[in-house]
Amino acid sequence: MRAPAPFTDIIMAEQAAPAIPSGETQRRRLTLSQSNALLGYFLVAPVVVCLLVLVVYPFLFAIWISFTDRMVGQPGKFVGFENYLYLMRQPSFQATIRNTIVLVVSVQTLKLVLGMGIALLLNQPIRGRQIWRGLILLPWAMPAFVAFITWKLLLAPQGGAINHILISLGLVETHVDFLSTKALAMPSVIAASFWRGFPFWVIAFLAALQNVPKELYEAAAMDGAGAWARFRNVTIPSIRHVVLVVILLSTIWTTNSFEAVWLMTQGGPSDATMTFPVLAYFGLQSLRIGEAAAVSVSLLPVFGILIFIIAKMLQEEDA
Amino acid sequence: MRRVPTKWQRALQIMTLLLLLAVAAACAAPAAAPAPADGGGEAAGETASDMPAAEGTFTYWGGLIFSETANQMLVDRIEQWGAERGVDVEVVMINQNETVQRVSAAIEAGTMPDALDVGRTFMDLLAIQEQLEPLDDLYAEIGDSVGGWLPAADESTNPDRIDGHRYGIPFSLGGNVLYRRADVLEPAGFTEAPATWEEIADMSRAAQSPPDTYGMGFALSNVGDANITTTMLQAWGGRIADDAGTTCTIDSAETRAFLEWITTAFNDGLFPPGATTWDGAGDNVAYQSGNAIFIANPGSVYLYMRDEDPELGDATRYSAFPAGPAMRVAPVDANLRVIPTSSKNKELAVDLLKYLADPEFMKEYYYHAIYGPAAQGYVDAPIFTESPVHQGLLDLALNGTFGSLPDVNNPALSEYQTNFLTPRMIQRIVVDGVSIDDAIAETQEACQAIYDKYNE
Repeated sequence: MRAPAPFTDIIMAEQAAPAIPSGETQRRRLTLSQSNALLGYFLVAPVVVCLLVLVVYPFLFAIWISFTDRMVGQPGKFVGFENYLYLMRQPSFQATIRNTIVLVVSVQTLKLVLGMGIALLLNQPIRGRQIWRGLILLPWAMPAFVAFITWKLLLAPQGGAINHILISLGLVETHVDFLSTKALAMPSVIAASFWRGFPFWVIAFLAALQNVPKELYEAAAMDGAGAWARFRNVTIPSIRHVVLVVILLSTIWTTNSFEAVWLMTQGGPSDATMTFPVLAYFGLQSLRIGEAAAVSVSLLPVFGILIFIIAKMLQEEDA
Repeated sequence: MRRVPTKWQRALQIMTLLLLLAVAAACAAPAAAPAPADGGGEAAGETASDMPAAEGTFTYWGGLIFSETANQMLVDRIEQWGAERGVDVEVVMINQNETVQRVSAAIEAGTMPDALDVGRTFMDLLAIQEQLEPLDDLYAEIGDSVGGWLPAADESTNPDRIDGHRYGIPFSLGGNVLYRRADVLEPAGFTEAPATWEEIADMSRAAQSPPDTYGMGFALSNVGDANITTTMLQAWGGRIADDAGTTCTIDSAETRAFLEWITTAFNDGLFPPGATTWDGAGDNVAYQSGNAIFIANPGSVYLYMRDEDPELGDATRYSAFPAGPAMRVAPVDANLRVIPTSSKNKELAVDLLKYLADPEFMKEYYYHAIYGPAAQGYVDAPIFTESPVHQGLLDLALNGTFGSLPDVNNPALSEYQTNFLTPRMIQRIVVDGVSIDDAIAETQEACQAIYDKYNE
């Protein structure tokens, strides 16, 4: 499909157009490029309107609300940075920042390393490859509610399968309270979040790997490159684009993920697994939309920096 | 000569039309101004011809409870009313844990139902936000028809607490009853109900057998059930705020004494594993699986045992909350039916609320539900003599301490509770290992920050 002509083209086309003969017709005819450009703009207009209504407006509205003392059903008044200052004074908020960073960095690192490893494995001509590729999708296809409740049951101190296995193997003498022990709660949430999300990475990496020309590997092999050198010099540069986009998307999803923490620990024990979405949820319980919005909006600078870095890297790639 | 439109011009026309339609839909004028509530004053036996036609479908949000039969009874009753009045009715049963979120979203979106069930604290918050219709006349009229309200139900709509009006019609009183495993306690020599919280800890120490059984099946996590710890704190003489309801008074010798007791109990292993991260069903599961000796529960566990595990039911005894060193606190609070200011069918909603208050229906409803009665006319329902847990609920309805007494029931206290500050104070000690003094200081500060928001 042809892209709409830039405005400069339209202006130039207008300037180049012959003068309309007087008395012939007062209606000015558009050139072909002008016509195509306008058609293009009108075709994308519905999408632009949808984005403005469904994305930009709520986004700006949330930012505005975070600077007000708005409660449910009340317009509220502008209070400047009061909500943010209130949040920063809360011990929960500091724990929330720390926990969110730990959760996101750990889960993304695990997904990157293991997701790449599994994708590389499934890209090899192994037996039953198609079946494995299908099975790997199961955690992602499962509803989040079911997945995290299942993990909670698996990790339960009494009757939980993981405790049963650990005790049966003699690795522990008594049950381990994974979700209520401060040191183990976050690792448990990380494990469950990784398990639920890694198939997306595997499938995205696998699709990218299948597009890497075999000739590049053959040429590298002929030049004497070993497996690691081929991975570093052929595979990584070829799929870098996909990796960056997947990191960006998955980071946003993981940061905004509510179900994992809420269903497994409700942010506890104490604030050991409190994350931004759960803290915002607590704010909503008191009908204080302004404070809840401030919790969510306080993540924007982090996302902004992340998106900027990744967009910059992608631009450099294109250049 | 008529010019044939080009391809793009046709597309342009279609797009313009679609855009105009979208803008028109988005900017559609809101519904007509709602009719005033409480002005009808109709008797409880209205017919279709007496009632105004419903504007659109009449929507009711009922609070989902553990008894499927009770839920269905409410739905059937409202649908029966709709059929009798010639009103198209939609009844949506919503999880009570999600009421706040659902209602908040509906208020913002302008999609509130015509009437709904809410808890008392949420009713207070909504009334302050001017989201509810005052129902003073209706309250009095229904009260007369049901033999008068019980004191706790009356207090739940106390006009002095909001702005001189009553905003809800109580339909039940609820609270926690103490469940105990007689089959575990009696062999250990404990045949009577515990008279104090300290006795519960002592009985647990003597009777429990970890990892099979633990004594104190009380949540200490970030869920509503864990606010039972605020009740315990009050029983020790501790208070969340002063008598004016404006200044937090967490930092007290009574709070220290309570924290010493409960953290010792935790460290002695009297709480089942996972109690600090339980969800709302954690204590139910612990008791139903035989893992807890004591729990506090309104009645859902009783219904489960009645229907699914009669053996455990036979081994269970029920009693009111015990006393602490300072007093006995047994909180009772109301569930109410309210009419939003946004309702387009207020007159119908008023009629429905009268219809639902019918004593014969309510007596049948209580048989399946897990509530105590709200009015004198409901007290003689047979279930309140037949079922031990309903006897406990009746006792609670008649003799319990209303709401958060001895603390002042106000929105600041509600926010304190929805932030679970008391159980989180305990978690800071038993999970994070901070000292009792530091945990109290943190909680005092967080509590005062909440109260200050309402003091402005």
